[in-house]
Formats: sequence, C-alpha cells, structure tokens
Amino acid sequence: MGWFIKTFTSSIGKKWLMAITGLSFCGFLTSHLLGNLTLYSGKDAFNSYAEHLHSLGVLISVSEKGLLFFGIIHVLTGLVLFIQNIKSRPVRYSVKKSAGGRTIGSFTMPYTGLVLIAFIVLHLINFHFVDKTGTTIYQIVQEAFSKPVYIIGYIFAMIVVAVHVSHGFWSAFQTLGVNHPKYMPFIRKAGIAFSLIVGLGFGFIPVFISLTI
Amino acid sequence: MQLDAKIPAGPLAQKWDKHRFELKLVNPANKRKYDIIVVGTGLAGGSASASLAELGYNVKTFCIQDSPRRAHSIAAQGGINASKNYQNDGDSDWRLFYDTIKGGDFRAREANVYRLAQLSGNIIDQCVAQGVPFAREYGGQLANRSFGGAQVSRTFYARGQTGQQLLLGAYSALSRQIAAGKVQMYTRREMLDIVVIEGHAKGVVVRNLVSGEVEKYAADAVVLATGGYGNVFYLSTNAMGSNVTATYRAYKKGAFFANPCFTQIHPTCIPVHGTYQSKLTLMSESLRNDGRVWVPKKPGDKRKPSEIPEAERDYYLENKYPSFGNLVPRDVASRNAKEQCDKGKGVGETRLAVYLDFADAIKRDGKETIAKKYGNLFQMYEKITADNPYETPMMIYPAVHYTMGGLWVDYNLMSTIDGLFVLGEANFSDHGANRLGASALMQGLADGYFVIPYTIGGYLATTAKKQIKTDHLAFRESEKNINDFTNKLLSIKGKRTVDDFHRQLGNVLWEYCGMSRNDAGLEKARKLIQELRGEFWKNVLVPGSGREFNQSLEKAGRVADFLEFGELLVIDALSRKESCGGHFNEAHQTEENEAMRDDENFCHVSAWEYKGYGNDPVLNKEPLTFENVKLTQRSYK
Amino acid sequence: MTKTLNLTLRVWRQKGPDSAGKLETYDAKNISTDMSFLEMIDVINEQLTLEGKEPIAFDHDCREGICGMCGAVVNGRPHGPEKGTTLCQLHMRHFSDGDTIFIEPWRSRAFKIIKDLAVDRSALDIIIQAGGYVSVNTGGAPDANAIPISQETAEKAMDAAACIGCGACVAACPNASAMLFTSAKISQLALLPQGKPEAAKRAIEMVRTMDKLGFGNCTNERECEAECPKEISIVNIARMNREFFKASFFSDVK
Ligand SMILES: Cc1cc2nc3c(=O)[nH]c(=O)nc-3n(C[C@H](O)[C@H](O)[C@H](O)COP(=O)(O)OP(=O)(O)OC[C@H]3O[C@@H](n4cnc5c(N)ncnc54)[C@H](O)[C@@H]3O)c2cc1C
Ligand code: SF4
Ligand code: FES
Repeated sequence: MGWFIKTFTSSIGKKWLMAITGLSFCGFLTSHLLGNLTLYSGKDAFNSYAEHLHSLGVLISVSEKGLLFFGIIHVLTGLVLFIQNIKSRPVRYSVKKSAGGRTIGSFTMPYTGLVLIAFIVLHLINFHFVDKTGTTIYQIVQEAFSKPVYIIGYIFAMIVVAVHVSHGFWSAFQTLGVNHPKYMPFIRKAGIAFSLIVGLGFGFIPVFISLTI
Repeated sequence: MQLDAKIPAGPLAQKWDKHRFELKLVNPANKRKYDIIVVGTGLAGGSASASLAELGYNVKTFCIQDSPRRAHSIAAQGGINASKNYQNDGDSDWRLFYDTIKGGDFRAREANVYRLAQLSGNIIDQCVAQGVPFAREYGGQLANRSFGGAQVSRTFYARGQTGQQLLLGAYSALSRQIAAGKVQMYTRREMLDIVVIEGHAKGVVVRNLVSGEVEKYAADAVVLATGGYGNVFYLSTNAMGSNVTATYRAYKKGAFFANPCFTQIHPTCIPVHGTYQSKLTLMSESLRNDGRVWVPKKPGDKRKPSEIPEAERDYYLENKYPSFGNLVPRDVASRNAKEQCDKGKGVGETRLAVYLDFADAIKRDGKETIAKKYGNLFQMYEKITADNPYETPMMIYPAVHYTMGGLWVDYNLMSTIDGLFVLGEANFSDHGANRLGASALMQGLADGYFVIPYTIGGYLATTAKKQIKTDHLAFRESEKNINDFTNKLLSIKGKRTVDDFHRQLGNVLWEYCGMSRNDAGLEKARKLIQELRGEFWKNVLVPGSGREFNQSLEKAGRVADFLEFGELLVIDALSRKESCGGHFNEAHQTEENEAMRDDENFCHVSAWEYKGYGNDPVLNKEPLTFENVKLTQRSYK
Repeated sequence: MTKTLNLTLRVWRQKGPDSAGKLETYDAKNISTDMSFLEMIDVINEQLTLEGKEPIAFDHDCREGICGMCGAVVNGRPHGPEKGTTLCQLHMRHFSDGDTIFIEPWRSRAFKIIKDLAVDRSALDIIIQAGGYVSVNTGGAPDANAIPISQETAEKAMDAAACIGCGACVAACPNASAMLFTSAKISQLALLPQGKPEAAKRAIEMVRTMDKLGFGNCTNERECEAECPKEISIVNIARMNREFFKASFFSDVK
C-alpha cells in the first residue's frame, strides 16, 4: 500500500482528491438544487419531497456519511495544500501582478472554502439538526427566511458558492487530465454556467420564500 | 616542431573504420578506474560527457552557466546537416564531404571532414532516439530543408530552435548519467588552468563562481569543449559568457592554437543600435532565400525605403552575382554589405545596415506563405526593432558569428598536449577557412558522440596510468598563479570598467581585422591592442572581492585573455598573405574582388606556439594535402 | 524612433543566500528606448562600478530568449509585462518616461537567492535527472526514419519541448509550483514513441522529485501559462496528470 499513500500524498494525488470530492459536491449541489426547486411549487411539494427523501432510509444515510467523508477529505486536503503553498514562497514579492491567468474564483479558493465550511455548519444546524417534531421542514425554512439576517447571509453564501465553483468546476477537469483544446473552452463555459445556475438557483430561494410569507 | 596529424593511411572512405580497429581498447572493467574531465556542456561537451560515462568512465563535467542546458549551442537556429539522402536528391557522404571542404576554401583536412560526413547520419539516428522532435512530413518521415546555399536538402531542423533541441537531447543523456552517478556535474565553474604533469594533461583548476573558491580536479585525461572565441570582437552573435579563456590558457600551457584569424562573419544580423549594445542577434540565413538585398543608389539617401523608387535602388548582390544572387556564401554577402556601407550607401540611423526586402516575395507568394516560412523570425525582428518586416524592409548587417580557428588537434582530436582533447567549436579541425551553415552542430555532436569515445580510449590504453593527487606541486602552483592573477585584477582599482576595455578591443578588431583586412591596418591593430592591454593592467576597475559571486571579476579575467588573444589573431592574419574563406586580405583578391588563395604558399594550417608573455609566438605549419579533391577557385558570378 | 527615458529603479539587493535583502533605489537616466532591459541594467552597472559601488548581480547569457538564464520579476511580472518575451528580449520602449520599475528575483523556497537577482535553479535540473530522458546509449540507435511520427505529434512534442527552463512559471505561480516545467518534459517524451517505454517510471519519478524539492502544489491558477516566455500550455499539465494517473494505477512502478 506504500504506493497508494505515496500517490495520494503527491502534489497531483492531493489535487485528485480535491477534484474528485469537489466534483461529487457539484453532483450533490445539482441534486440538492433539483430537490429544492420544489420549494417554488409551494409548501406541499417541498414537504413531500422531503418525505420522499427520508423514506430512502439507508441510502440517504450512506450518502450523508459519504458526503461527510468527502467533505472532510476536501477540507483537510485543501488546508494541507493551502499551508504547503504558503510555505513554498517564504519571502513574498513586494509587487506582484497577475498576468491574467488568475480569476476571482481561483485566487479566493481557500478563503471561499473556509466561508463555505462555516456556512455548511450553520446550514446543517438550521435545517438538518433541528428538532422537526411538530413542524414541517417548509415551516422551518419559512421561519428562517423571515429574518433579514438569514436572507442576506444565505444570499452571500450562495455568491460565495458560485465563486468557488466557478474555479472548482473546470479546475477539476484539468486536474483529472481532461484538457483538450477542442473541449476545454466548452468545459470552462459549462463551469461558469453551472456556477451561475447554482448561485441563482439557491440564492433566489430565500428571496422567494420571504416574498411568499 | 613537426606536427603529426596522425591521419590513418589508406583510402579516404576507409580511414576511420581502419583507425577504429587499430585503436587500442580499454578493458570494460578497467574503464571505471579512469577519471575524465570534460569542460563545457554544449553539444560537444554534453554529448562527450554522456557517451564517456555510458562507457563506464568516471566523468567530471564543468560549465560556466547554472545548468548544463544553457551552453551557447542552445542558440543555434537553422539546423544540422546529415548526408542521409532521405530526399533522394543526390546527397552522399562524398557530396557532404566535398561541399564542406570546398566551402572551407580548401583549408581543412580531408580525412577529418570525410569522417564528419560519414558520422553525420548516426547523429540524426541518435538524436531521434533521444526524443528530439525534428520537423516531420505529413507521412511521419523526417523533413529536410536546403540551407546555406547547398544544392541538396540535407538539413534537419526543429523549428527555428534546432540547437536548443539537440542540446536538450545531449543534456538529457547527460542528466541520466548524473543521476546514475557516473558524471559529477560542476556548474557555475570557470576553468582557469590546465594542469600538465610530465607532458600529460592531468587536471584542471577552476573558480567556483558562486563562492569564489579556487578548486582543483585531477583526472587521467582532459577534454575541452568550451566553444568559440567570437566575443573577442565584443559584439557578436555568441552568448555573453562565450570566451577564449579555457583554450587560451591551454595554449599557454603548450597546446598550439590553429588558424585564429579564420573567423566567420554572418551577413544577416540585426544591426547595431547604439554604444550600449551588448550583443547582436542573428536572423537565420534562410531569409535570403526570399528576401532581396538592396541599398539606395545614391550615397547618403535619407528617404524612407518606401519612398525610394525601384530605379533608385541597387540590388547589388543580384547585379554583381547574377547566378547566385542573394544566395552567395556568407563571407561574400558580408563583405559586399560592408562595401556598400563604406560607400555611404548604408541605411538606418547608424548608416550601417542594408535592406532585406520581402515585398516581392509577399507579392509573389502571398503574406501567408511568407509568414509560414519566416513568421517566427519576423516576430523576433519586430520584438527587437519595433519594425514590421511585412510592411517595411528588414535592416541587416553582418556580425561575428563563428570561429573556425581553435586549438590544433590531430585526427584523434588530441592537442599538442598529450591527454588534452579538444572538441566542437573550440578546435580548428573541420571547417577550414569558412564554415557552411548547419555544419557546426554536426561537428560538435560527431566529436562528442562518435569520435572521442574511441580516441580517448586509444590514448588511455597506451599511456601508463599514474594516480595524480590535487596536492601535487603542479596543482598548487597553478592555484597560486590564479590567485595572484585575481588579486592583481582586483588591486588595480583604475578608472575604466571591464566592458569599456572590451568594447574598445572589439572596435579595433572589427575595424582592422574584420570582414576585410590589410597589412597596414593589421599592424596598426596590433599596436593598438598592445597599448590597450598595457592600459588595462594599469587602469581597469574591478569592484568587489575574489571570494564571492563577482561577475565583474569573471568578465575581467576573460577580457584579459581576449586582450592577449586578440593580438594572436592579428598576428595570424598578418602572417597569412592570401585571402581564403573568412580571411580576406585586400592585397589578395581577384580582379572581380573575390578572395584569392595562394595554394602554393599557404595550403597549410598555421599552428601557433606560445613562447611566454611579451614574446612573439612561433608559427608551426601543418601542410594540407589534397588527394581526393581538386583545389578550385570559388566563383559565384 | 529612438527616444530616451528617465526611470526610477527599485532593485532587490541581497549579498548572499543567508543575508537579508532590501530594495534599493537607483536613477536610470537617458535610457534609450532601443535598449533591452538587460542592457539598461548594464548601463546602471557601469555607473555603479564607476561610483565605487557593487554592480547588480543578474544571470543572463544568450540574450536572445533561448538559453533561459535571465529572468527577474519586473513590476510584479516575471520577465516583465510583454507576453511571450524573456527579460533579455524585453525592450525599454515598453516603458514610459518617469516610470518606477520594481525589479525582484524569482522567489520560491526551491530557488535560493545567490546574490541580488541571481537565483539557484538547480532544482529544475534535478527534476530532469529524475527521468527527463530516454535511456538510450550512444550508438546502436535505429535509422531515424524507422519509426514514423505524425506531424501533429511531432509538433505537439515540439510545443512542449520549447521550454527553456527559465523558471518563470515557478516565479509566476502563486504557489511557486513547478508543474508547467515538469509537465513540459513529461509531455514531450510521453507523446513520442521513443519516450513511451519509460513513460510510467518517468511520470512517477519526476513528480515525486518535484514534490520533494519544495515546490508548491498546482491549484490551476494558470499564471504559469500566461507568463511563460515560450507560451507553454497547461494542456501539458493535464497530460502529465493523465500520465501520472496511468502510471500510478496501471503500471508496475511503485
Ligand atoms: C546565433 C547562432 C546560431 C547558430 N546556428 C547554427 C546552425 O543553425 N547550425 C549550425 O550547425 N551551427 C550554428 N551555430 C554554431 C553552433 O551553434 C556552435 O558552433 C556550436 O553550438 C558550438 O558548440 P560547442 O559545444 O563547441 O560549444 P558551446 O555550445 O559554445 O559550449 C561551450 C561550453 O563550454 C563552457 N565553457 C566555456 N568556457 C569555459 C570555461 N572557461 N570554464 C568552464 N566551462 C567553460 C560553457 O559553459 C559551455 O557549456 C550558430 C551559432 C550562433 C551563435
Ligand atoms: S515552462 Fe515556460 S516559464 Fe516554465 S521554465 Fe519552461 S519556458 Fe520557463
Ligand atoms: S539571456 Fe538567454 S534567455 Fe535571456
């Protein structure tokens, strides 16, 4: 197993971990978003969606554990990369300019990542680990988004997600070796589109909910 | 001294085979007992180091740059010749041999040149096997182009970066041996002396350019592959670090210096802009395939090129040489450019340039075709000059490019010091008085991959092995001399910088010992150089100390050697009372102003022997005999 | 047309690897726009020498953009602001009168500063020694035309092989990663049939060596590609990632 460890602790291996876990989060975001779209059709649709989801039982708890596991890998590897990368240039430049390679998404990756961890924890506390006896998930959501702080906080977080994903999406393909002059322009555009959809799709929910109260 | 070139007997085509058989071999198990020093990591030194290490020798390799991959060979653009005859256009070893001998104006050894042609094909095989990405045809076969006026297409190339790719090939082979522990690589080291013990080269003394420390290394044989001395002219197309120090100090230790006055001036370089100019950039010779060279007919014409009508332009090469036109050999093209500028017909701000015009070619073939052929060169030109050659003619002027002269070596590439071998541009062996395009890369690699591995074995196998340590008196003396030399340079604390002296030396040589020479000018140059050298040792300003990274000190040492060597170059030019190839003495020209050889009196190699500082060197002649080719007068009319 | 400029230079001066360095200010007067950047430093160095001060140490050799020896970070940009240009080929006409120019060495944990602007890039050589070659001894190579190589492949290999080993990619990378350099060599040899037999070992050894030398990790910032004077593409990094994947999971190399 020495080779296995060596592979995944190498610079490329660590990137793979980021890419694979990152892409799986993109998958998760997609399904989460699809599910949440039911919110736009009103209370009953959303509640029945939630019920359906919970009836999946084992499957759901396996996915949850999987996501948690991936999340831990993504965060820990990200932190290791962040620290190693800072250390690889002990003396910084007095003047440093971008040549046009970096994007807002790419250079804020570690920071947007940290914001997202905080957000996810709050999000889970708000909507996942709440006491759901005697109330529906829709009510919980409604209640949360009646507070302006929550609305602003969630919208902000969704912008951050979009920024994070705008780099993460194409970057994952590049890392996994999928870069070809023929396809890359498409992948890059798809990445932007995906981040916009995710950002708008999720970001509009609090606004929508608060308007429908 | 009687020079013995050790040319094997027998028919030309069989000499090398026969010789290889006759050379004594070192037993494979014994090879690891031998240490070999290689100085230089260009095509010659890089390939030699790798090949010798593969055979089992312990190799110590030195270079000035921070990495062996940066040797000056990296800059070669055009390509490398080989008599593969892949194009089925009539090429053969014999034709490549003949072209090279004739191109060299019959001042090279037949046997060496023939061997070079024979080995040329192996070089391409070797490089391809290493992963050199040569240009290919659609069918996947190697592409060729015709180069430097050759009538067959025998030049292999990798875009305009052939030297780079070949060097990276040699560098990769070298890297493999470094990783295997068979080569000890010493970068940022400058060789400052050869240690000769009982007539045999036994080591080198180098300066560690980072720490300033003087270091001593012993070995059973020493290989010099330190490149050419074109920078004696200050401005040249050579890299800034190219120097004569290694070969000149070997000369001082008893290696003869051959034909120093054979220097090549390349016709298509970007002209000088101002006094601050540090080096000249070559524009590939291939440009002359489509560009037309012209100057205004009226001297001092200051109009823009676009404002000068056809009738007032002088396409002097086409007019003077109707059959070769713009494709005359390098020396002829260069001399004619100078002649036009001397007449006041030069163009550009400095009036030291001629036009190379692509307007007709673009009209004929379309911009796209021209861009495909020369796009990268046009781009490079624009980067440097901010002029767009698609719209306005290029300006070009000749510049020092290559030095055919170098340390004298015999057929085994051994100098007059036993055990001191000299490869690549550093030796004098294969190009006579003028080198053909794409032949230097070929020679460097032939020497390193395919000649030295055999001939050095022959030397080692026939020489009694003697373990020398670096605390030997000869090493200590050499070390002391170097330290004294350094201290002397540092202690002068004069008023002029090293570059200032170098620039002045360059001006003198360019003026009096450049494209065309005459005895009066040469005499004058000799005097000027002596004076300048005198002033240098009184008035040079070298800052810093010897015990640190000190680039001024490095340069100072090199310029000190150039100041001595420059005189040797002039002495050689003075002694050769004929014109041949790159050496054009105005007193010896045909009625058509072409170089006129004197085969009766000068069909020899001039090998100079050092006789101490301040004494005239002694001329030794190695007669050149031509059994296989007939000496003819070149004509390009 | 030739003009002259007056500039203020802020140059990093550092005596040796372990000394502290700082930015010093110099006036560069009457600098011709036709000069190259290095020629401008030559002029300053002549002045400094005559004033009895130490000239600025900087590496350079070919001065035509091919040896890869020169390089400094100019106003925050490795090799200066021009695209696809080495420092030696950067001309002063790209600056304006009165400009202040910051000149700093390549900065990376893997590149120690030797003096002023000169850095030790031997780490790049060590990466090549780990496998950037085809193991073929001199002699005995088959005829050069024995294995046809499509023009497309040869061109792609050449695109990668054009790397001059200058290290600007490392200097430009926010993480001081050497991925572009390493991938260029791995790509070149992975594309060519001659390099294939050793592809797996090469990919693994070169990547591991690169990691050991203290370079940072790639985060796909693309600054390397944007600054590379030879415009080497990050397509090569993707190819290296594939090669490394194949080598890690489908070869016997451990
Ligand atoms: C711009 C240009 C274009 C060219 N184009 C072509 C072409 O298209 N085709 C062609 O055939 N030829 C061409 N040439 C000529 C050819 O490139 C050279 O002649 C050839 O590369 C010389 O190789 P070399 O190995 O002998 O020496 P170099 O490559 O010059 O190497 C010299 C080595 O010696 C080392 N060295 C020097 N002095 C010392 C010292 N004192 N101590 C320690 N080390 C030292 C250096 O560090 C370096 O490693 C061109 C030359 C120039 C300038
Ligand atoms: S990839 Fe580009 S920037 Fe990096 S070393 Fe090679 S040439 Fe320089
Ligand atoms: S000095 Fe050679 S690339 Fe700049």
